[in-house]
Amino acid sequence: MSAFLGPLDATGRVPPQQQTRVATFLLSCHAAMVRQLAIALALQTKAAWHTELNSQLYRESEIVSLLLRATSWAPDPELLFLLPSWETAWLPRPTEGVADRAQAFIIDMAALGHALHAVIRPAALLPESGPLLDPFALALRKIEFESNRLIQAQILFLKSADLLPFRSAVNAAVESRHAQVRKLWDDMLSGIGVERGIDR
Amino acid sequence: MPDLVGCFMPFLAVGSYRIRYELDGPEAGPAYVLVNGLTQYAELWGGYRDALMARGFRVATFDLLGQGASDKPALFISQDDQVAALALLIDRLGDAPVFLGGISFGGLIALRYAIDHGDRIAGLALMSTFAELSPQLLLLGNALRTGLILGGTGYLQDLLLPMNLSDAWLGPQLGNLEAIKRQGWLTNDVYALQNLMESFLEFKPLTPQLHSIGVPTIILNGEFDFLTPRAVHDTLRLQIPDSALVIIPRAFHAFTLEKPALTAHLLSGFAEDVLSGKWKGDRSVWIAPENPGDPLIPFPRGHDHLRAIPAHEVSP
Repeated sequence: MSAFLGPLDATGRVPPQQQTRVATFLLSCHAAMVRQLAIALALQTKAAWHTELNSQLYRESEIVSLLLRATSWAPDPELLFLLPSWETAWLPRPTEGVADRAQAFIIDMAALGHALHAVIRPAALLPESGPLLDPFALALRKIEFESNRLIQAQILFLKSADLLPFRSAVNAAVESRHAQVRKLWDDMLSGIGVERGIDR
Repeated sequence: MPDLVGCFMPFLAVGSYRIRYELDGPEAGPAYVLVNGLTQYAELWGGYRDALMARGFRVATFDLLGQGASDKPALFISQDDQVAALALLIDRLGDAPVFLGGISFGGLIALRYAIDHGDRIAGLALMSTFAELSPQLLLLGNALRTGLILGGTGYLQDLLLPMNLSDAWLGPQLGNLEAIKRQGWLTNDVYALQNLMESFLEFKPLTPQLHSIGVPTIILNGEFDFLTPRAVHDTLRLQIPDSALVIIPRAFHAFTLEKPALTAHLLSGFAEDVLSGKWKGDRSVWIAPENPGDPLIPFPRGHDHLRAIPAHEVSP
């Protein structure tokens, strides 16, 4: 086990098997965000949120598109079992303790987005002497950099005065999504010989 | 031990969160507890651990909530929880005298602990610390938070390194800065740092409570500290009765990283003076030596220690 992707292949790339597993996980969760944002945008009645939701939708779409192009794919039969479990995990689950059903869904969507952008640090998987110009490595760096900005919308919303009456429920929802994403991400990495937090 | 929940490294349980800590040195010896600055992690005190243990101290270090291997609350980090974690750690140290030191944000947490639990410690060492947000510090803090949001941890490090370290330290490291930054970048998460910074949204000045700190207190301030300049340390000196201000020559905000041997010597010397009854705070002002072990020099009488040029003191 190592804290980083690799060992790099002869051309200095992250091995395609690892690229495939990491990219599929990221595609799964960011595509789920695209779907949820599209629905939220269609249903959202607060005009002030349209700008941010629209921006989030297209930046999440960019991540999906980037991964599709930048990844060196390899056959991975285990994905037949893994992918459905990941897709199930991203399904909306209305936040408990919030009576307004639509608001409960929106809080969960923001909680999931917060967890994806906070917990998943794909660039931190690259070894120190890692590939600088490899498309997959560049994509991981881009995704992590954009995540730091994307999460700001979730932070502003989840900490907003509107949600202060539900602070405990909101906090519990976000912590729960964090724990879920952290476990799935760590399990996925463990399956390709990477363990976060060691050798650093 | 119900609060030990880790396998390989010990953790304290603070509510539902875990705090990673490390405890080294002789169990019977006086203890030093060291509290990290905002972007730091416990390993950065490694040199202090060795130096203080060599002088017979037990040394406790830990990652604050939101740092390193401690839990990182997703949305909110309260400074009260940080003080509670520190209190739990100090409670583990038994009856031996405890000296508490903190740098910058960690100094603020130490200060809050000393206000609430002053009877539990034998001495307090405040390094690059403040009791209230001056307009300059408030605006700098806001700008650093914006930098973190827009550019991530790497950009925050790019801002802090030249602001807080001297040319003498940075010069030889210029070709190696990316490697130096990498560990901090790996260890820190943007959302957690942001939560730590936003714990100041509810911050109330501590100045009115400083007079209640009855323990001996040494205040260490870098000569050229830009982030927390002399005036904010002087507030601590004037309000804490048994205090002394020591100016570290040619040092900036992060002198604990830049001058570990000198700082460790000052910390151990302070504790030894307190334990032997030699310490006299008297709200005095001193200049630290350039070399560890050399004596402190009293700040020249009649000159204003708040000025950079040798201006004569003006009576209030």
